[in-house]
Amino acid sequence: MARTFRYFEKKRGHRRTGSKTLAIAGEVVFFTVFLVGGVAGLIVLYNTLLVPQWRANTEFVAHRCVVRDKHVGEKPSDDGPLYRPEIQIEYTLNDERFVIWTYDIWVFDHTGGFSPGKDDKLAILADYEIGREYRCWYDPDDPSRAVLVRTSRWWIGLIFILPISFVLMGAGRLVYLLFFVGKSAERRSAFAQKAAKLAPFDGNGRTTEEFPAIPAGGNLTDSPGTTLTYRLPVAASPSWATAAAIVTALIWNGLVAWLLVVAVRGFLRGRPDWLLTLFVIAFTAGGVLLLIHAARRVMVATGVGPTLLEVSQQPLRPGHPFQLFISQTGRLHLQKFEVRLVCEEEAAFRHGTNTRKESCCVLEETVLTREDFEVVRGTPYEVECEIQLPEHAMHSFKSAHNEIAWRFVVRGHLAGWPDYERSFPVLVYPNQSDNGTS
Amino acid sequence: MTGPQIILRLDENGRIYRPGDTLTGEYRMMAVDRQEVKSLEVSVLWYTEGKGDEDMRVHYFRRLSTEDGDWIDPRRPGRFTTVLPNSPLSYDGRIVKVRWCVRVRVFLKRNREVVGQRLFRLGDIPTAKTLATSRS
Repeated sequence: MARTFRYFEKKRGHRRTGSKTLAIAGEVVFFTVFLVGGVAGLIVLYNTLLVPQWRANTEFVAHRCVVRDKHVGEKPSDDGPLYRPEIQIEYTLNDERFVIWTYDIWVFDHTGGFSPGKDDKLAILADYEIGREYRCWYDPDDPSRAVLVRTSRWWIGLIFILPISFVLMGAGRLVYLLFFVGKSAERRSAFAQKAAKLAPFDGNGRTTEEFPAIPAGGNLTDSPGTTLTYRLPVAASPSWATAAAIVTALIWNGLVAWLLVVAVRGFLRGRPDWLLTLFVIAFTAGGVLLLIHAARRVMVATGVGPTLLEVSQQPLRPGHPFQLFISQTGRLHLQKFEVRLVCEEEAAFRHGTNTRKESCCVLEETVLTREDFEVVRGTPYEVECEIQLPEHAMHSFKSAHNEIAWRFVVRGHLAGWPDYERSFPVLVYPNQSDNGTS
Repeated sequence: MTGPQIILRLDENGRIYRPGDTLTGEYRMMAVDRQEVKSLEVSVLWYTEGKGDEDMRVHYFRRLSTEDGDWIDPRRPGRFTTVLPNSPLSYDGRIVKVRWCVRVRVFLKRNREVVGQRLFRLGDIPTAKTLATSRS
């Protein structure tokens, strides 16, 4: 007899394992704890922080009092002594005489209103003269409580961020579970699509309604070309990659320099640490490689001029010819210059707690190759050619974890310089014979 | 004795569909008691297979529920029809595959469910192969 509830389910490849019912129950318990903890925290903070301050500022009754004594209260703590101003006041209410130590409402708080720094408390005490009459506010519910100042601590609001975030996380997930538990994956997907249609804006990463699962590619068509219709954007800015290489090399070599100093000191004192020395040698080798890498990137970034690619149409259609314009500026001697059209599959998958990506090139076509030529400053190398994608090539595709991406890759082999490579994404729509439109 | 199952049939069995074509077919529930059926969902959807985590998107979705007053008779075949979208086309790549299917899910009492699925091809994209041709 089949069981309706299973503690464990069979493992299916690298997919999720375990009982769904048990997982949902665990999730409900976990996020209920979050929600209850957050609500309890809010109640406690509200009653201990907000209410006393609000009552002192609005409900306490104004009165007159005489200052009888003053000093700075001190309390030891793990981080050093804490202080608070303590002022003794005397006031009479309905023939009853009260003598209390006070300053603000936080004196009556369980923390006692202590905080670090003695000087500011002394400055407060300097404002009060013993024997002089001042204004005070007393608690109508407990006349033995009175304050000399009404304060508002704005930063109290920041303390509420923690319990509020707990409440939002707990309640949000519980609402999600309440709504989606027991619903099929198809029903959830249909609901998510309806919700997505209500989204007020259409970002670049979103797909279009006419061509689902194909990136909208707004950033690929918003730049007009000078020779052809569209100028293609570069996939990753070389300057960012160069900056990252420089920063990595500097940080790494900074740490190596520090270790080197420690190791050399050991030798100078006659107590060499051989293990550290071995580490320093290995790390220095790594540092030199990083410096070489950074230097090569700087050379490419500063020496090789911009590469411009323009296309006559975007998105591209398999089987339909289009024009490609290539321009390489700079002052270079190129041993080889090639432009390739590449189609790559990319898959993201969870491996334990990590998300990994794997890519695989499924089509690589050389569009243009030229060898041994000079590019002179002020006269860029320019070429225009006609290209056609394979008739039944797959279109661009993007979902949450899977992608099929097309791009032009420009690679230059320079005499006496490091090679450079620049990538220009393009959008490919289905072949018109495949999609039935004309 | 076999348990409950769902048989799916496409009207133009086995043909390659093109975007804009109308997909029609029918489903039959086998060995399902009418009293047992709570609800039924018919979906036309694509999903990914391969190295990456699975992605899925429903193109057509219809739900019938006895609680909502819908009449579900397992003895009679049900029909579905939908116009197929422009994309994504079926694709058999190396680490990314896109599959289209019709899926019928029947929810029975005591939290049981029966699922039937029928794959079909949208578009005529050949299997991915690495090509390295040169044109200059």
